[in-house]
Amino acid sequence: MSRAKRIMKELQAVKDDPEARIELEFVNESDIHHLKGSFLGPPGTPYEGGQFIVDIEVPMEYPFKPPMMKFDTKVYHPNISSVTGAICLDILKNAWSPVITLKSALISLQALLQSPEPNDPQDAEVAQHYLKDRESFNKTAALWTKLYASPDGAIGKSVDEAELYGIDSEAVKEFESQGFEKDKIVEVLRRFGIKKLDPADNATINRIIEELLK
Amino acid sequence: MASDEEYSEAESDDSLYNYESRNTSVDLICPKNPNLTSDDSEFDIDEVDSSDYDEEDDIDNSLLATPVSPSTKKALSEGSVPNLKYECLTTKEIYEKMLKRINHLQPVFSIPPDDVLVLMQHYDWNEERLLEAWTEKMDELLQQIGLKSAEVNGSSDVRGIKHRNDFMCIICCEEKNTDTFSLECGHEYCLDCYRHYIQDKLHEGNIITCMDCSLVLKNVDIDQIMGHASSTKLMNSSIKSFVQKHHRNYKWCPYADCKHIIHLKDTSSLAEYGRLHYSPFVKCSEGHRFCFSCGFEIHAPADCNITSAWVKKAKKESENLNWVLSHTKECPKCSVSIEKNGGCNHMVCSNCKYQFCWICEGDWAPHGKSFYECTIYKNDDTKSKGAQEDPGKQLKKYTFYYRLFNEHEVSAKLDWKLGQTVGHKVKALQDRMGVSWIEGLFLIESIKTLNEGRTALKWSFAVAFYSDASHNLTKIFLDNQMLLAKAVEDLSELLQIKEPETIMKRKPEFYNKSGYVENRRTALMECGRDLLCKGICKPHDG
Repeated sequence: MSRAKRIMKELQAVKDDPEARIELEFVNESDIHHLKGSFLGPPGTPYEGGQFIVDIEVPMEYPFKPPMMKFDTKVYHPNISSVTGAICLDILKNAWSPVITLKSALISLQALLQSPEPNDPQDAEVAQHYLKDRESFNKTAALWTKLYASPDGAIGKSVDEAELYGIDSEAVKEFESQGFEKDKIVEVLRRFGIKKLDPADNATINRIIEELLK
Repeated sequence: MASDEEYSEAESDDSLYNYESRNTSVDLICPKNPNLTSDDSEFDIDEVDSSDYDEEDDIDNSLLATPVSPSTKKALSEGSVPNLKYECLTTKEIYEKMLKRINHLQPVFSIPPDDVLVLMQHYDWNEERLLEAWTEKMDELLQQIGLKSAEVNGSSDVRGIKHRNDFMCIICCEEKNTDTFSLECGHEYCLDCYRHYIQDKLHEGNIITCMDCSLVLKNVDIDQIMGHASSTKLMNSSIKSFVQKHHRNYKWCPYADCKHIIHLKDTSSLAEYGRLHYSPFVKCSEGHRFCFSCGFEIHAPADCNITSAWVKKAKKESENLNWVLSHTKECPKCSVSIEKNGGCNHMVCSNCKYQFCWICEGDWAPHGKSFYECTIYKNDDTKSKGAQEDPGKQLKKYTFYYRLFNEHEVSAKLDWKLGQTVGHKVKALQDRMGVSWIEGLFLIESIKTLNEGRTALKWSFAVAFYSDASHNLTKIFLDNQMLLAKAVEDLSELLQIKEPETIMKRKPEFYNKSGYVENRRTALMECGRDLLCKGICKPHDG
């Protein structure tokens, strides 16, 4: 049972290094397959101030097979699915090596938050947002961090759907004034990957209206 | 009697194929492309784009203009590409050829052949790309691939297996007296962990490195760690991926458990012949005949398009394949079935390494749209809804032809069993009638003719299904089909005779009936090609 030994040792190593601000613990003491890890959002990024929880499943063949990791905390990031928390990172797939530990994998995730790879996206909508309008992307990512990754999070608060996806409220108002419902507008704008509206771009506006009328 | 052994079943099967090869693939002259025969770079893959091919318009004329040899004529009448040059290999043979090339090239490199092997593996066995990279940046290349340690202090005496007391392996976290292994980098792990690590990677065929850095484990290291010749497995996987990557020139024999690979050196004319509805039929050294383009059995009179449409349809209709259809998708590149086993929609085919989107099956790289609303997927959906055919009528027509197709497939299997008993019959003839082996050959030829006739008949139903039923040529085709069916059944019946005496007495009948099947088959093939060339028969989603 080298796997149990190794996991225990890894847990100890995390405890011995409080400086890293990484936490790792079993979900259930009797099950060494299933852990939860967490780390802090890297400073100087929209993720600063958040604590991100990662669900970790350790396969039987560990450490020869990579652990399966996904975010429990909702994250707005090009390489992380905004819906499921699935992660697109090479070391968790084919670039895995037995010398990588759960701790170093969590640190890699932290580094991923620091430097996204929009050209190899997991969430294409988010990736487009990142590439097209960095400022607006940062605002949305920070909002998500505040809502979902902070102690005083979104629980009990109502969240504005448009703001949540980084859509300019002016754009929503424009269509609301034409009598369309807000939910529908947000849904269509998301689908088209449109965050801001250029009032002179009639072709796009017509395309959206056409879609809204469907 | 030694001759008794010689004419056993297996032997007679072989002779059947030998006979065949004498007829079709030996001594073929090549009137159109004499430079084909130049053979100096064996693994030089000329993936000639068909659009570069500028002899398009000449091809039909040139076929007519050059005096047509009998073998070419036979190939043409069977819808097969004439003068096809190919060789049949195994992974081992390909690997041995690679090794020969490496020995040949070694003086250029001034490093051990084992290292050249790793370089070749890194460059997917592409000599030219390797040599190019080598002349550009030797040392850099060695470091980049991991044949040379980047650190100066990497000393060679660290390398290898050592016995250590109270060794703490950081992989398994066990402290024990054990053998360990490390490369020049000094990253040392216990042999158990190393074995486990290597075992998992052998089937991937990629270069295996140290667990902690990019230094390469050479084949000698792998064999030393594993304690036996495991590197052959790795090389085998590597060659397999080489074959997969060069699927335009290399194809696995599709027959179950057949390990042979067909290497077609020149594929430039295939597209052109394809347009004329000729298919590149090949035969591996086990005697399995198949179409190089689509991987199915000899499917004439149908061409590859008809065949693939027909087979897809058969799959679609089959209840058993429902699970496969709903849970797996074919890799858009190499058509291997892929099951999705995780949340990520970024799929990488384990076979050909193609990266695609699970939703729309498009290339991943330019992927721009939101993943839950892939437009390509939607388009596909609306397109299939828009198809305006009477589904009930189509289905009825399909079921009708599919039943016939299937019936002949079953019969072909039974005929195959019959073929096995023919060997016994030939032997019985020799034992009881004193007939020489050569004289008994007619039985083996008959069974071969029967097989070919049956296969052609089978695929002719696919052609019939996709043909415009109102056209006169289709009617002629159907008449021809009926005549072949009758001829095939007659011959099949004749082959059921068991008594050697009767067989010898009715020998002329065997010749007559076989000859008739042969003629009817050729007629049906020609007629089928006519339907294809005139566009009366074309694939459609019905």
